[in-house]
Amino acid sequence: MTPILQVRGVTKRFGGLTANNDISFDVAEGEILSVIGPNGAGKSTLFKLIASFLKTTSGEVLFRGNRISNLAPHKVAQMGVVRTFQETTIFRSMTVRENIIVAHHLRSKASLLGFFLGTAQARADETEFGASADDIIEFLGMEAIRDELASNLPQGHLRALGMAIGLATNPTVLLLDEPFAGMNHDETMRMVSLVRRLRDERGVTVLLVEHDMPAVMKISDRIVVINFGEKIAEGTPAEIQSNEKVIEAYLGSEDAAIGM
Amino acid sequence: MNTNRLIGVGAFLIAVFVIVPLLIATSGRWDFYYTLTSVALLAIASAGVWLTFYIGRINIGQGAYALAGGYVSAILVTKAGFNFWVTLPLAGLFCAGLAVLIGLPILRLRGVYFAMVTLVLTEVGRLSALALPVTNGAKGITSIPLPGELSIFGLTLIPDFATLQNPKLAFYLAAVFLMVACYAALYRIVNSRLGHLCRSLQQNEELSASIGVNTAYLRVLTYSISSFFGGIAGAMFVAISQSIYPSSFQVADSVNFMLNCFLGGLGYVFGPMLGTLMLYFGWDLLFTTGRYQLLIYSSLLIILMLVLPNGVLSLFERKGGRK
Amino acid sequence: MEQIIANGLYLGAQYALIALGLTLIFSLMNVLNFAHGQMYVLGGFVTYTVVSQFGLPFIVGLLASAAILAAVGAAIEKFLFAPVIKKSKREESTMLLAAGIAFFLDAVILLVFGEKQRGVPKILNGVLNWDFRIIMPYDRILIGVLAIAMIAGFILFMQYTKAGRAMRALAQDRMAAELMGVDVKRYSMIGFALGAMLAGLVGGLLVTITGINLGMGGPTSIKAFMMIMIGGAGVISGAIAGGFILGMMESIGLTLLAAYGDITYLVIFASLMIFLAIRPQGLMGKPWG
Repeated sequence: MTPILQVRGVTKRFGGLTANNDISFDVAEGEILSVIGPNGAGKSTLFKLIASFLKTTSGEVLFRGNRISNLAPHKVAQMGVVRTFQETTIFRSMTVRENIIVAHHLRSKASLLGFFLGTAQARADETEFGASADDIIEFLGMEAIRDELASNLPQGHLRALGMAIGLATNPTVLLLDEPFAGMNHDETMRMVSLVRRLRDERGVTVLLVEHDMPAVMKISDRIVVINFGEKIAEGTPAEIQSNEKVIEAYLGSEDAAIGM
Repeated sequence: MNTNRLIGVGAFLIAVFVIVPLLIATSGRWDFYYTLTSVALLAIASAGVWLTFYIGRINIGQGAYALAGGYVSAILVTKAGFNFWVTLPLAGLFCAGLAVLIGLPILRLRGVYFAMVTLVLTEVGRLSALALPVTNGAKGITSIPLPGELSIFGLTLIPDFATLQNPKLAFYLAAVFLMVACYAALYRIVNSRLGHLCRSLQQNEELSASIGVNTAYLRVLTYSISSFFGGIAGAMFVAISQSIYPSSFQVADSVNFMLNCFLGGLGYVFGPMLGTLMLYFGWDLLFTTGRYQLLIYSSLLIILMLVLPNGVLSLFERKGGRK
Repeated sequence: MEQIIANGLYLGAQYALIALGLTLIFSLMNVLNFAHGQMYVLGGFVTYTVVSQFGLPFIVGLLASAAILAAVGAAIEKFLFAPVIKKSKREESTMLLAAGIAFFLDAVILLVFGEKQRGVPKILNGVLNWDFRIIMPYDRILIGVLAIAMIAGFILFMQYTKAGRAMRALAQDRMAAELMGVDVKRYSMIGFALGAMLAGLVGGLLVTITGINLGMGGPTSIKAFMMIMIGGAGVISGAIAGGFILGMMESIGLTLLAAYGDITYLVIFASLMIFLAIRPQGLMGKPWG
């Protein structure tokens, strides 16, 4: 399979501190790939570099052969690589449905002026967004909270809403930022199946950054392990589990929870 | 638009275009025209400030754009012989363009930082008007002729104000018409996709960018619309007073525009109009207190903040919730 | 050239002192004190009253300005800002409150001291003339030196006293300071009083040279805002740097640009915008977002 996303020698330094050093890996179309590592390994920096919310010091990220690193974040989203945030990042004083509708921005065919004037195209767009939002709400099983203000939602729903916002942009590659953080076992399992369905039913390629090992082992086609800003291993969950470097890295750190 | 809203808009239009002139004619209080005209124009400038609030920026620089708009119109009318009605949109466009130049760097700032830099902008506007040769320094531009006739293909749309028996009424009607047009536009902006995107920007800029919104472009666009409002309000003001000085719009005016919005409520399109009316009339009513006017006015403001730190319309929020 | 630098230092020392008070209040409470310029004017009028009306020595006037402004600042914090901050949902509310207070102080100054420009007799006569390279009246030199001494005193206070350390902790992280046992309420009030006192002191210093009038409040606030934007809001070193930079720019501008009319501030503002485009957090401020 041709890689849809290529990370090429990505390096990021903050002052004298190297957060990511020469990291390279490919993501194939339609796969679920996880980046894991102990706390402070540089996962979230790498995540931001791929979504271009940070600028790389050197190296590049390619999407279908085109460079996306160091572009403005909205341009990366326009190309089809969309990130989600952890739960607090939503549009707080909009309802769930409004959140999702506004996230359809990239799909609008009418111009802003068209929307202002209320042209036929603009009205068609609005109808389409509404229908698509309802579709996403159904897909994620959020019917009961459709018209709830986002600021009133409990944590679990916020995570789902974040994913709904991501979905509304019609992404080719969805980047998930610690989708299982702070979840109990049941919630995690539901999220795992949801991410699978994203890929299976909507054909979305998923790259996620996470440190919940059991969930990652269950969900991933392949795993990339980083430690101290460097890639130390890459492979299928089974390969990673028996990789000595990985075990060492995790035993040497606080969250030694490798395995199932 | 539902029927209730249509009735509301209709009632408002009848009130401002028919009832107010009738009341003034019967009571003989012609001076009210000037007050109400001022309110209408200040409400337009405040609407612009409100729109910048809508993208999450506190704008205390509207005075600079009102001043710039005023000077553009005054200079075009006196030095280039333009018809005032042509200079009105030109003043707005000039300010919109200026806002793009100024907005590109400063709209990256947030919160208090943006507020500070816009406040400085107002002062710089005044200083520029004092220093530049074209604005005629502290002497300002005076004896500007009244707006001339506007006609298309021989059809008179607006008569020459100098020939009118009652230019006060004419200015009132023109200002209110302009205000209605601006608020209609504002209402459409807020309730169309642009408004939704602005709200997304107000609530979370990073998330906005991640769903593909060109946040920098949207901020500059909104800010230039906001400044357009400031520019035409300033230009119209100059036509009425027939003069403009560097001190015509200064820091206190910029602060007042912000107060108007806040007092009226940031969650409501018509909030700034209400706020302008309240503040302007409040200030006018206090005129009878003479030298204590500013003291009482500012004390009332402070007390208001102590009692209702979240704005007057927060009274309704508690009961009804948002919209 | 030496003259420009000397003027810049003289202006910069006073500006830095004003900016210090503003930045202190900002860092402690996240309040943008619009009334800072009015506090400065009030300080000037207090010194004027003590010196010119009561005929007391200048130093008494200066101390009176400091004491009265500290009291005014403490009262404003305790009775106005503290309750509003507690109840309000948005940061705009404190900004509006500050605007209200600025109007209020203007009104009070107008009623008590009137609209006229006031000044006090020169405290020192004579002019320093160093080979026509620097010409500067002695009283300006004295005021400049006093201002620099006060800046030094303020830095020492913030570094080495218990109150200073507490306020620095508060400025860095309110929550953490509270957990560490810093009495947040008390030090917010002290900080505000100190900020107001600095403004009052500058007013007292400058009344001997430029005099004071009601209209000076707003422009002074605006200059102070520019300084803390240059240096970075909420950072002490930034306020000092901002003050001296603005003083220097003004001094250079007034000399070099004199031929083009009064466009110094236009040029300064344009440079400020370009600077902020490159470095939105100012010279020493912390980046946010």
